[in-house]
Amino acid sequence: MRPRHPRDPFWMMLPTGALLAVFFFYPLVFAAYTSLFRWDLLTEPEFVGLSNYRVLLASGELGHAFLTTLSFSLVVVLGSMSLGLGLALALNRPGKFPAFVRGAIFSAYVVSWVSVALLWLWVLDPSAGVATNAVRALGGPSIDWLGDPDIALYTLALVTIWKIAGYSMVLFTAGLQDVPRSLIEAAALDGASSLQRFRNVTWPLLRPTTAFVATTSLILSFQVFDVVRVMTQGGPVRSTTVFVYAIYEQVFMNLRVGRASAEVVVFFVLLLGLTLLQLATWRGKPKARA
Amino acid sequence: MNQGRRWGLDLVLLATALCWILPYVWMTLTSFKTLPEIVRDPSAPLPENLDFSAYRAVALTMPLARYFFNTTIMALCIALLQIVVALPAGFALAKLDFRGRALAFGLVVATLLIPAQVRFVPVFSTLAELGLINTMTALVLPFGVSAFGTFLIRQALQSLPDSIIEAARMDGAKEWYIVYRLLPPILKPTLVSFFLFSFVYHWNDYFWPLVMTTDDQVRTLPLGIALLREQGTGVRWHIVMAGNVLLSLPALAVFAVAQKHLIRAVARG
Amino acid sequence: MSNARSWTRRRWLTASVAAGASLGCGSSATGRGRSRASLWFTYGGRNREILEKLVARFNASQAEHHIDAVYQGDYYEGLAKLRTAIFAKAAPTFSHVVGEVIPYLARAGVLQRLDAYPGHADFDIVPELGQEKSWIGGADQPLVALPFNRSTPIAYFNGDLLAREGVSPPSTWDELRTLAKKLTRTAAPIRFGFGCPISWWFWVALVGQAGGQVVEADGRLSLGGPAGVEALRFWQTLVREDGTMRPPPGRDYNAWEQTNQDFLAGRTAMIWTSTAFLKYLEENAPFRVLAAPLPAQRRRAVPTGGTHWVILKNAPEAEKSSAWAFLRFMHEDEQAIFWATSTGYMPVTRRAIRRLEREGYYAKHPNDRVAVDQLSVAQPWPWSTELFRIDREIVQPRLEAAVLSGKNAAALMDEARLEATRRE
Repeated sequence: MRPRHPRDPFWMMLPTGALLAVFFFYPLVFAAYTSLFRWDLLTEPEFVGLSNYRVLLASGELGHAFLTTLSFSLVVVLGSMSLGLGLALALNRPGKFPAFVRGAIFSAYVVSWVSVALLWLWVLDPSAGVATNAVRALGGPSIDWLGDPDIALYTLALVTIWKIAGYSMVLFTAGLQDVPRSLIEAAALDGASSLQRFRNVTWPLLRPTTAFVATTSLILSFQVFDVVRVMTQGGPVRSTTVFVYAIYEQVFMNLRVGRASAEVVVFFVLLLGLTLLQLATWRGKPKARA
Repeated sequence: MNQGRRWGLDLVLLATALCWILPYVWMTLTSFKTLPEIVRDPSAPLPENLDFSAYRAVALTMPLARYFFNTTIMALCIALLQIVVALPAGFALAKLDFRGRALAFGLVVATLLIPAQVRFVPVFSTLAELGLINTMTALVLPFGVSAFGTFLIRQALQSLPDSIIEAARMDGAKEWYIVYRLLPPILKPTLVSFFLFSFVYHWNDYFWPLVMTTDDQVRTLPLGIALLREQGTGVRWHIVMAGNVLLSLPALAVFAVAQKHLIRAVARG
Repeated sequence: MSNARSWTRRRWLTASVAAGASLGCGSSATGRGRSRASLWFTYGGRNREILEKLVARFNASQAEHHIDAVYQGDYYEGLAKLRTAIFAKAAPTFSHVVGEVIPYLARAGVLQRLDAYPGHADFDIVPELGQEKSWIGGADQPLVALPFNRSTPIAYFNGDLLAREGVSPPSTWDELRTLAKKLTRTAAPIRFGFGCPISWWFWVALVGQAGGQVVEADGRLSLGGPAGVEALRFWQTLVREDGTMRPPPGRDYNAWEQTNQDFLAGRTAMIWTSTAFLKYLEENAPFRVLAAPLPAQRRRAVPTGGTHWVILKNAPEAEKSSAWAFLRFMHEDEQAIFWATSTGYMPVTRRAIRRLEREGYYAKHPNDRVAVDQLSVAQPWPWSTELFRIDREIVQPRLEAAVLSGKNAAALMDEARLEATRRE
């Protein structure tokens, strides 16, 4: 439709545009600029060129943050997506019981991260937690879920999966509704087993949904902060210092705003790259057999 | 699938649902215990008595009412502001032809890649220079634009026939009237879903209030409850869990009442 | 939702008005008409209750000033908030901070000089606890800090267990090692002989005992030199070779808390931690708690810890005066004694200590004496603006790595020293 007055679109987009400029795009530019300085908020900034980037690379901090976040993200995305898909398939039928189960699982997505973190902090407590005592009662070893540097990150990943599996499940459920029953029934009549039906009919048709879930889950998992802050504060031995937490630490604990800005720039570039990569992968796959 | 397999699957599904329900049940039960009870036998399921002392302790340690108030006002203002800003933008992006429309939409969606943690330092220092740290403005204004909301409204409007708008125009309605008076009732399901989703999301927010507030004036509930995790002299789990119950209740209550809307908001996105 | 625009507009207006009202609503009914000051504190649990009691006592005892005390998390969280709040011009009137960061804050020019206020010289502060002797050359710097909760690390023992085994607290590192081996039980119920948070403060204590210091007299950041390595190796030996020490999990104060819990639950026979937890441990232990000074290697040495009061320079004058009035109150005998005897921190004035001696308090509570007596071997901190950074960024992360994963201590310390001296 043509706008009533030629300037209408401008006015309509103005609030959005102004807020985005001030609170989204300007910060990116400012971060890039600040990353060239050494600044602790309390004294004058000091120009240091690319020194911040150099130190971050040389000390391995960038690499470490990236690897930690990537491992975490991979586990979370794959885990929550498979779980979500499985649940969506298993619960893809009408009735009160499936609705109840879906509701129970999705409820975790609705509460705050702080709530989930505190809850699991209690359940996984090494001395008084239910999980630890249950494992011990079954004769298993004493697992230090959050204190063992080798597994703490994966514990956090599991907690994250617990919280967001409902998100993938809901999206896959909606996606499954869009798969025409007629196609599935036709395949069944042709003698296809349920696995074959899934692989050849459902899965290809779910592609747009899968792409969307994968991309948004990736973005979500790259942004985890609350769970790390409440449960492990980046430890033990920095094994759970994901990117966002590293940035937070640089600003608030070390008061190195310039260095934090450098990390911000790298983080943004990486996230952008990964997202584009994801989208390209999902778009680029050859079409499935009809 | 035969009945036997069906019952088997249902059992597995029930067990799965319990994995999500039991932790919260456990948390609630813990909130009614006393510390000696917990230390003595952490695995005992039921509390000996329904002890409310943990809740009393939470109320004494922090200005609960104020935190609830702050959080609710903040979430309310954000959700409303987002709708007010997204309605014209969604309308323009869906219905009006203008140069650069695709780019504008692309930019809006691209902001999903710029999370709060990337933005907060410059925003913090700008707001600090303006003396706006630790005010409701710092908590609300930066979230004025919701890419998600704009997307939802645009999508809903795209399936709306142009004729409705053209008819209103011919009747002499101004564009502002169309955007803010005509469309909202039509878009009601979308707006309600989005409002609820955004409200709950921002009610639960931890990071932004963490960096933008410095004392109790506008501190929000998630921050207050997270502070319960006190250090040094032994975590008092029953108190932490009582606080956690209080923190989780509103979101769960909204969920119980408006489950369909929330799910719809997520699914349409 | 008909009349959407006016409805949302109306709601928005009422919401903003309510929000604005909530902004102004900072005062409680009892505080009206008084000069107010805001205090940010960083204690949780029991010590928090004691402090809040003292604040309430002050507010009730006079009608001129009112102190609003706000809890901000633990030391490091609170310090982080304080610094960013100073920048954002949203800082409190006064607060309390760890000693390592005071030179930095002083140089940044954000601390109020306390000798501008009347009566500062009459407090009769214990020199080792006050600015004078807490830092090398502290007396030469303008007065910006007054001691608040001051502590030294001490050793706690399960007194009943020691009596049963017929042993007494160790006075050297070797004795500690032997005792730890003796008290460790590998069969269920498992018990470790020794526990200690893997933390900067205790490492500094070990460095001192091994004969070194973190910053040399000429300002060189030596990180203890060979003593620094020896300190780290001692922990590694206890944890990895002897298996007599369990490294507590978690960072910062989670580790301290876990050490306390292990001690109380009988999972560790002796621990090193702050004298600040004395009352807490005594009250909650199902056995008799025995406190003793830390052992020596080449000499006895302990750092001091806890925090000092500081007033922020940019606060309004009236607020700063109220803060000063509160600080005077806190240094009076009653308050100094109440604070110390309720928590385990040391009394900060000599008058208070003498009074406690006269009243026979230390005779009845010998554990309280340990930290005070240890002051004779307390090591002052260097007045270095880099100290805090060295602690948080360079040393602390490496300590955990060394003990938990057994990396080579000498290599780590060399790396650390290199990083410390590189001014980036």
